[in-house]
Amino acid sequence: MFKKRGFEIQFNWIFVLIAGTAILLFFTVIAVKQRSLSETSAKATVLKSVDAIITSASVSTDTTDQLTIPNSNIEVQCNSVSLGSGVSKSYQNLILFSPSLIKGDKIVWQTMPFSAPFRATNLLYMTGQQVRYIIIGANAPNSLAGRVVKSLTSYLGKEFYQEYQHENIKNTNNYKVKFIFFDNLNIKDNNFPSSLVKMQDSDVTAIKIIGNEEKGNVEFYQKNSQNGKWNSKGSSPYFGKSSLIGAIYADNKEMYECNMINAIKKLNVVNKIYTNRLGNLKIKKPECDSIYSKAELSLNAINSITQNIVETNIITNEELASATSSLIGFNGEAQRSSCPLIY
Amino acid sequence: MVKKSQIQIGETIAVLFVFFILIAVGFIFYVRIIKGNLYIEKDELSQLNSIGIAQRVMFLPEIECSEDVVKEVHDCFDKLKLDATQSIMTLPPNQLYYYDMFEFSEIKISEIYPDKNNQYNKWTLYSKTQKDFKNKFATNMPVSLYDPITRRREFGVLTIETLSK
Repeated sequence: MFKKRGFEIQFNWIFVLIAGTAILLFFTVIAVKQRSLSETSAKATVLKSVDAIITSASVSTDTTDQLTIPNSNIEVQCNSVSLGSGVSKSYQNLILFSPSLIKGDKIVWQTMPFSAPFRATNLLYMTGQQVRYIIIGANAPNSLAGRVVKSLTSYLGKEFYQEYQHENIKNTNNYKVKFIFFDNLNIKDNNFPSSLVKMQDSDVTAIKIIGNEEKGNVEFYQKNSQNGKWNSKGSSPYFGKSSLIGAIYADNKEMYECNMINAIKKLNVVNKIYTNRLGNLKIKKPECDSIYSKAELSLNAINSITQNIVETNIITNEELASATSSLIGFNGEAQRSSCPLIY
Repeated sequence: MVKKSQIQIGETIAVLFVFFILIAVGFIFYVRIIKGNLYIEKDELSQLNSIGIAQRVMFLPEIECSEDVVKEVHDCFDKLKLDATQSIMTLPPNQLYYYDMFEFSEIKISEIYPDKNNQYNKWTLYSKTQKDFKNKFATNMPVSLYDPITRRREFGVLTIETLSK
């Protein structure tokens, strides 16, 4: 009788233990699943916000705003945006100049038209409020540096210095710092600020702008912790102020070129439409044929230049700038002769 | 004594059984509510997507009026550009390019005024359909159509039909 009772009590305890474990396990699994689901859902909401900005960028020119989002790490690559594993979106031709990582709870964005000379698309720039932009150049209202600073959004964490004095730059705990040098400053021989020495090399970058508002070259640099100097990462041409500003926002040369090639792809398609339209104009307005025939040459030149850029992935700006400026001239000529405009 | 303990275990199993049944019923109820919300959200998303596509079309540089006209008239499309865009956007490589912007949709523009004895121009700028779609949203918008040859403005309707699964 005693033995039987002992067995019965033991069995009850084992039974309660198994049943309790099963119940606990069941609720734990549900809680874990729910947690991962809500995390994915929060990430998807952020991605939806980024996608909404990308959509609105195509419809609004010269617009800027900042958006408050849940604290996130948005990773931007060539033609894709992701928020960690599982939540990402790929695009066929994404034009988004931004750092490779946007951290924090505020997204700052800005759009500008990319025109050559007609508007082909809008360029979208996006960054985080915790990224620090240090601009070094002449502070005159007519200087390139002055005009570029004026074009940058007021939401941006930017500082403007006349001279590069690396010892005066303090570390303000930003996760990324970008230097923008104007006026032919020789930065190769200059040291990067010692206050930023502990930052990762890829998080301290610089660009040097050589040219004017129409065209020029951008040299890309990155901090080199080995020798305490700036390491050159190559150079790339820019075409117009909007693409120059793109180089400021882009993380590196590769990202800048990927976006520029996507913009030029669009320019190529839009240019084909203008060429086709001009063919119709020539038939329907024979009295304007002399102007249109000259303009056709410029449009054909833009077509072959852009086609070449898309095929080779090598950006050139000299010929494009020259064809664009001739087309502007022919459009003015058409207007003066009361002919329908070319663009 | 044996009988009593057997009854006790039987009772516990019955309680557990009812407990799990109640949890299962609650879970099914919860999943159904979530599913219902998802369908509503999906519908809203499809509608938003349709409006987004309409917005993108309205500001498409491929069809918007020349700079001097667009300053005076909003939502203005150039008729010569529409002719050119129709032939270029529907080419297979370009259609793939525009898929990112317009997804599964059909974009049409038709003249409606002035009266032309039913000889109205119609342009189908983009058309990519899917067979097994579940929802179809149509957005109609009045637009101004500009003829750069005659310099006349006409009225038209931009129709965007978006399809979703």
